Amino acid sequence: MSRAYRITVKESDTRHLKAGDEIATQLEILEILPPEDMATLLREELKTRGFGEQDDGTLTREDGQVTVTVNPCSGEVSVKAHAAATVNQEAKREASGFNDIGPSESSLRDRVREQLKHDLDKKFDQEQSRLQTRATEELEKHLQKIQPEISAIVNKVTRDALKEKAKQLGTVTEISEDAETGSLTIKLEV
Amino acid sequence: MTRTAAPPTRPPEPDGPRPVSRFEFNLVRVLRFFLGHFPSDQGIQLVRAAMTRPECLSDTAVGLVKDSLAKGCVLALVRAGGWRSDRYLRAGKPVGGRAWERSPPADLALAFSARVVEFLIWATAEKVHDPKAPWDAPYEELTPADELFFWLAFDACRADPDLVAVLRTRDAFRLNPLCWLGYPGDMAADDESAPPDFRPCFAGPRAVILECLQAHLARRWTQSERAKGQIGDWERMRRQGRAEFATLRAFLAAAGAANRTDLARFVLKTNVAMFGTDLAPAFWTGGLQGSGPPRLADRLDTQRAALAVPRQLEVLAGWQQRAVHVGYFDEDYSASQMWKQEWEAAGGDAVAARARAAVESLEPLRAPVGGAPPAATDIPGDDA
Repeated sequence: MSRAYRITVKESDTRHLKAGDEIATQLEILEILPPEDMATLLREELKTRGFGEQDDGTLTREDGQVTVTVNPCSGEVSVKAHAAATVNQEAKREASGFNDIGPSESSLRDRVREQLKHDLDKKFDQEQSRLQTRATEELEKHLQKIQPEISAIVNKVTRDALKEKAKQLGTVTEISEDAETGSLTIKLEV
Repeated sequence: MTRTAAPPTRPPEPDGPRPVSRFEFNLVRVLRFFLGHFPSDQGIQLVRAAMTRPECLSDTAVGLVKDSLAKGCVLALVRAGGWRSDRYLRAGKPVGGRAWERSPPADLALAFSARVVEFLIWATAEKVHDPKAPWDAPYEELTPADELFFWLAFDACRADPDLVAVLRTRDAFRLNPLCWLGYPGDMAADDESAPPDFRPCFAGPRAVILECLQAHLARRWTQSERAKGQIGDWERMRRQGRAEFATLRAFLAAAGAANRTDLARFVLKTNVAMFGTDLAPAFWTGGLQGSGPPRLADRLDTQRAALAVPRQLEVLAGWQQRAVHVGYFDEDYSASQMWKQEWEAAGGDAVAARARAAVESLEPLRAPVGGAPPAATDIPGDDA
């Protein structure tokens, strides 16, 4: 006599997921002084703003999940956001079969387990894309925050370079700066 | 026009049409389609259809192929821009006139190899989009005229993406500099596709062919740039933009090294046609659908790729900077003067400034805060 049965299979998995996003661009440093002098000015300005010098000569600052790296020699700046999470996912499936026809219980169980693996992969993929979105949003938010600071750094380096250049040209008699408009006037005697 | 050499004697033309087999008839029609003398839709049908290949071609058919190639390729070059009276460099000095006036006839001869006839037989016998028999031509064996013919054939087949997908895998097209210069977006199968070596393009008949194609290339690149605003697919935009950037960068590097900046005129003309007014990046990227790839890095990469052509102006501006500093007694004085004249006539400085503004507006972390930084030329003591 044919008898129906139902099996329930549960699977769970824990994975460590990582996501990241990064943009790289070039700082617009004017060549007022020789490149190595401009790099020195940039390096000093970055250090006053909490950037730490690395072995490879770049300067790095960690702002939460975001890392800002500046190469003072090339003027390349990269902003990298990363997110990581340990995620546990569970999936459950039920299947029914007959004891006399169709696949045996063990093969049915294997097939359900295979489907559960796909279900879990899909869930982890969704988590991964959620994590990716979080990292990208973090990067976008941080770019808006850091843009004024980067512009201020470039302006400061340019001002310092102009002062240095003026000193090389003659005796500086007066320097006036307007922080609002960003204008800088240097009077010198040659 | 002054005739500089006596024309070769030709056999007398027969009274009526010359008899050929059905296969040969189709082969000649396929050839005429590649040369642009046969309706495109009917030509595509012919290359998509299969036909039993004969043992060999008759003398009549070979004669017709030779005649069509000789006349068709020359006509294509003349129509593309060879008829224009223009100036190009010869041994570092500008020489004016039409293509046949700038070079002696011997330097203009187009010699086709057997590879062209093999390709024609294959394209007639096989369904090109789904061929049963393999065909390819080693690139090293191709003559400059063969390259021109394969470029024309690729151009004719571009309307059918299935044909393009097959042809671009063959060396005769994949390694053909003209195919990459004309259609980099079609030649790149993926992000990793690299353009061929452009160095041979700047000497001999290949350089003359490039001179003739300048106006055509400028027109084609301008059309392609204007059509970018209609591209909705991010992936396609990125692939096309990357291919264009890699192609133009490699080409300009080779042109600069060979001191043939005149052969990069089409890049300048394309930018001049684009930057009559200020343009925002939306001109290129405005058609992209949806929010694009999830990563900001990929979105930025795609947008940068879309502006591949304006980004080349930094190379051309570099040539101009160099040309300004070439002295009268320097070896490349004449070539530099010619480039300077072209640059100034095109309003190169203004075009380069507009292109730079468009490219930089894409870059993050560039917006000035608290007023623009003072320029080095603003130093009061600098004039002293």
